[in-house]
Amino acid sequence: MSEHVILFVGPMGAGKTTAIRALSEIEVVSTEAANSDRDASDKPTTTVALDYGEINVNAAEKVRLYGVPGQKRFDFMWSILAERAEGALLLVNADAENPVETAIEYVKEFYALYERGGIVIGLTRADLVPESLIEEYANALADEMPDVLIPVFTADARSNADMTVLLMTLVANVELKQAVMASRALSSGRAR
Amino acid sequence: MTIATHLDPKYISRGELALSGLKDLAPSLSFATFLTEDGFSVVSIAGAALDSNRFASMASSTQALADAVARELKLGDNEFVIVAAEQGHVVQVRVEGHPLILAALFTDKETIGKSLAAARRTARRLNVFLSAYTGPIDLPE
Repeated sequence: MSEHVILFVGPMGAGKTTAIRALSEIEVVSTEAANSDRDASDKPTTTVALDYGEINVNAAEKVRLYGVPGQKRFDFMWSILAERAEGALLLVNADAENPVETAIEYVKEFYALYERGGIVIGLTRADLVPESLIEEYANALADEMPDVLIPVFTADARSNADMTVLLMTLVANVELKQAVMASRALSSGRAR
Repeated sequence: MTIATHLDPKYISRGELALSGLKDLAPSLSFATFLTEDGFSVVSIAGAALDSNRFASMASSTQALADAVARELKLGDNEFVIVAAEQGHVVQVRVEGHPLILAALFTDKETIGKSLAAARRTARRLNVFLSAYTGPIDLPE
């Protein structure tokens, strides 16, 4: 059975845990703790280690879903979980402060995953902001990283259908990148 | 407006008091902190060279993972966590009735059993101090 390992990244309150719960076919393993810093995010709990879920795409293919803690002070978990991951699904709360800058920061932080398999951005709570914000993302990303190609979607983290679109886009990206790399390796082997 | 747990004078003053006896119980103590479940250091002792915020964040993740394992395996409530390495060990114990965890680092000069007993006693001491708390007091110098 082949498998993919996908990381759900993004700031606190973006909907990572909710998205994994919406997608997973198994009961999600969560490590939530009471949120004692309600000024940073007004939600009762926060992820402090990881979330874990699974999807069987078909009989021969499984996708493992790992969610990282959103707060920077848990960044040691980011590196641990990124080691095995092939791509990242970056969720950003569109009505948060400076969402475009936040997205760019996270793309830079997880750039190794972009190179390895890809990154897809999901804008959550996008119904609360002007539609032009999505174009703003694309423009800001293109200005900041002209050679980087990252799809941007709006999504409801609670919706299995929305999150499946994002996830399958990312998985397709990962598989395409892996196929290209395998083909390049084969070509360079033949050239020798 | 509610005050964040890690900034609450009640937890800070009582935590300092409880931690002050830990080194006597286990002299190989290198560092100890009371932290919130979501990884904020409330109060720490010893080990100035150690980043107490990072230690607290890691302790929070470790505790949550251990709790998740106990939960997944249907073992009931997780009582404590021990990370034993070549040159020392970390012991973590929850403070009953409060959203706090004691995480303490000991060198290999202490047995794990003695460190665990000292940590549990310190967590219980904090519980007693907090139960008796009636307001701010002047701590001894």
